[in-house]
Amino acid sequence: MTTGRVYVVDDDAQVREALLRLLQSVGHAVQGFDSAATCLQQLPSGEAACLVLDLAMPGMDGLQLQQLLQQRAPDLPVVFLTGRGDIAASVRAMKRGATDFLTKPVDDELLLAAVDEALVEAERRQGLQRRSTGLAQRLATLTGRERQVLDLVLAGRLNKQIAAALGTSEKTIKFHRGNLMHKMGVRSVAELARWVADAGLPAAPSGTKVQ
Amino acid sequence: MNRVDLAWMAMAAASLTLGLIHLFVWVRQRERLDFLVFFVLAVSAAAWGAFELQMMRATTPAAWSAAVRAGHVPLAIFVVGTALFVRLHFGTGRMALLVAIVGLRVLTLLLNFTTGVNVNFEQVTSLGQAALWPGSFVAVPLGVANRWAWVPQLSNLLLLAFVADASLALWRRATPAARQRALLVGGAIVVCVAATGTMAALAVHGLLPWPTILMPTFVVVLLAMAFELSGDVLRAARLTTELAASERRLSAVVEATPSAILVVEPSGAIALANSHAEQVFGRTREQLVGRAVDTLIPERLRSDHAMQRAAYAAKPEPRAMGTGRELAALRADGSEFPVEVGLAPLRSGGQVLVALTDISERRRAERAAAQQRDELAHLSRVAMLGELSGSLAHEINQPLAAILSNAQAALRFLAREPAVLQPVGEALQAIVTSDRRASQVIERLRALLRKGESVRETVDLNELVDDSLRLLRSDLAHRGIETGVDLQPTLPTLLGDRVQLQQVLLNLIVNAGDAMQGLTPPRPLHIRTRSAEGRVRIEVDDRGPGIAPADAERVFDAFYSTKAQGLGLGLALCRTIVQAHDGRIGAAQNEGGGARLWIELPASAEGMR
Repeated sequence: MTTGRVYVVDDDAQVREALLRLLQSVGHAVQGFDSAATCLQQLPSGEAACLVLDLAMPGMDGLQLQQLLQQRAPDLPVVFLTGRGDIAASVRAMKRGATDFLTKPVDDELLLAAVDEALVEAERRQGLQRRSTGLAQRLATLTGRERQVLDLVLAGRLNKQIAAALGTSEKTIKFHRGNLMHKMGVRSVAELARWVADAGLPAAPSGTKVQ
Repeated sequence: MNRVDLAWMAMAAASLTLGLIHLFVWVRQRERLDFLVFFVLAVSAAAWGAFELQMMRATTPAAWSAAVRAGHVPLAIFVVGTALFVRLHFGTGRMALLVAIVGLRVLTLLLNFTTGVNVNFEQVTSLGQAALWPGSFVAVPLGVANRWAWVPQLSNLLLLAFVADASLALWRRATPAARQRALLVGGAIVVCVAATGTMAALAVHGLLPWPTILMPTFVVVLLAMAFELSGDVLRAARLTTELAASERRLSAVVEATPSAILVVEPSGAIALANSHAEQVFGRTREQLVGRAVDTLIPERLRSDHAMQRAAYAAKPEPRAMGTGRELAALRADGSEFPVEVGLAPLRSGGQVLVALTDISERRRAERAAAQQRDELAHLSRVAMLGELSGSLAHEINQPLAAILSNAQAALRFLAREPAVLQPVGEALQAIVTSDRRASQVIERLRALLRKGESVRETVDLNELVDDSLRLLRSDLAHRGIETGVDLQPTLPTLLGDRVQLQQVLLNLIVNAGDAMQGLTPPRPLHIRTRSAEGRVRIEVDDRGPGIAPADAERVFDAFYSTKAQGLGLGLALCRTIVQAHDGRIGAAQNEGGGARLWIELPASAEGMR
């Protein structure tokens, strides 16, 4: 079981306090917000965390908050709580990437499991974020020609085909390939491919793309 | 004894007879002073007749003078009496003239008895003879007229004027009886006074060789008066017959009236009861008459009734008894029944007519109607709560959710090594709070679902608003409705059925929410409470499409609905409930263009602050 930072948004003070107490009992660091608006204003950024969010609230409801947070805090996984079994709302919430959708009263096992999962997800998203940031930094060190070679390698072309496409010798391609593997810090094309698949490859600068 | 003697004695006797008859009437009817005056007139006429006969039979001037001097006494009485009779019998005539006539006649008598000679002649030198009719000679005085002779003559003229004026005044009243009286009595007096007065004046001055004969005209006047008075006697007799007939009619009406009727003496004893009263009270007429009316009233109301009866005696007028008070009566078997009572004073001797209706049936019908209303209200409440069930379940679900999480948190704190106790205490405290909240919601629901007779209790509208909003909180939040309240801090309370009034308010709030379905959230709903002039008012405003002025009344009609799924019973029932509370309900456009539904209810007396 992981512990981490958990935010709870619920307009009902009694429910909110109870949820915070339960989360504290297993060692989570917690913070509560009484409305979607306060949450938007006061939500800290940085640390990996998850959000336990009440669906029906006066003013801005849970779904609206989720939508806004997708841009503001994309790393923050959301666990929805609702008083009513509202299927339409749960489908929408899940489509937008909610990690779980629970109904009140919620059993502690269920909630804590969902929160754990959400925290793991938060860790993963943060790790990805870090790796994708690293990838971008390393990609920036590549020369234009090396970047062209990288794209073609990931496209599955052989050295000979790459040389033909770029109008140069196979030996030169081998040289560029060695350099870019070194700069990207990978030992095999397979490793490079997984890396890029995980973090997503930023588009090549325009004009460098091979026709 | 010649024919003149016979005629005069007959006239005097007739006058006395007439007088006596009217004296007897007066003895029985002391307030009819005109009968007494008539008697005095008749006696004085008879007395004058005697003196007049002496004058006609006089053989010496001295004898004649003695007779005329004595005759002035009954003459004065007759003149004054005539004026008095007219005044009493006609009810008209000028007082000033009457006083002047009396004054002149008193002066006449003074002159007549103090100057040594009679007021007509200074000196009677000789007596002539005149034939009253062929073969009957009577004395005619010849001499020097008294220089004061104008005094009695003037009094005669004034009498003429007085009677003529009084008759005219009576004539102008224009009723047939008044006109007949003015014409017959007034006319007879005027003609006779004019004739005799003229005759006397001419005789005194020696212009008429004829004795002054008054007696026949007196008799004519008396006959006219007697005829008139006998009409009164007959009228009284006719009235007695009519009265008896109208009494029979009245008692027939009293018997036939579908109400119990009692006539109550000032002492409180029952003087009369009709057959319906026998039925209503379950007692025979013999048992009712003479009984104290208080014994027909339940013990607990008796002291109040005694006070009310005294108050009524002080200010008797036809009216309903005790508006706003509970009125009940007792049957012979001791059972109580509700009544409605009308009172009317009877003129004679402070008696009061009491008309009493047993309204048990009406009360039963009213109760049945109220029961139906309560049942309909209950059904509609159940239906409304059914529609709100999701939201109401949420209101119970919330505290249950808090309780579960708190309890499980507490268990986990206890399971730690070592156990952490402080948050366990806090969790338990929170559980207690949430539990109370849940049971309050259930209590409210139970009250709304309870089926029973309507109860009047003290209701605070502000509390009602808070309560209703708490019940609807989740529903309103779910529908994106933002509620604003503006509650008057010291609102008078009212007496009413709390549950039914809450039902009305819930209905208005839910309706306002429905009206804003087409709006993008937030949908503003505003509730306001106010009081003025002994009434409390509550307004529910929305921002929906509003209500057209033409529809402002129709929205309260049963089966009128603008909602696709609406039955159209909600507002109709609201109106029924509000009206049962003596209140009013209305719909109007508010300043924001939406609808405003308002209720006004009378504040309770102790609720006024």
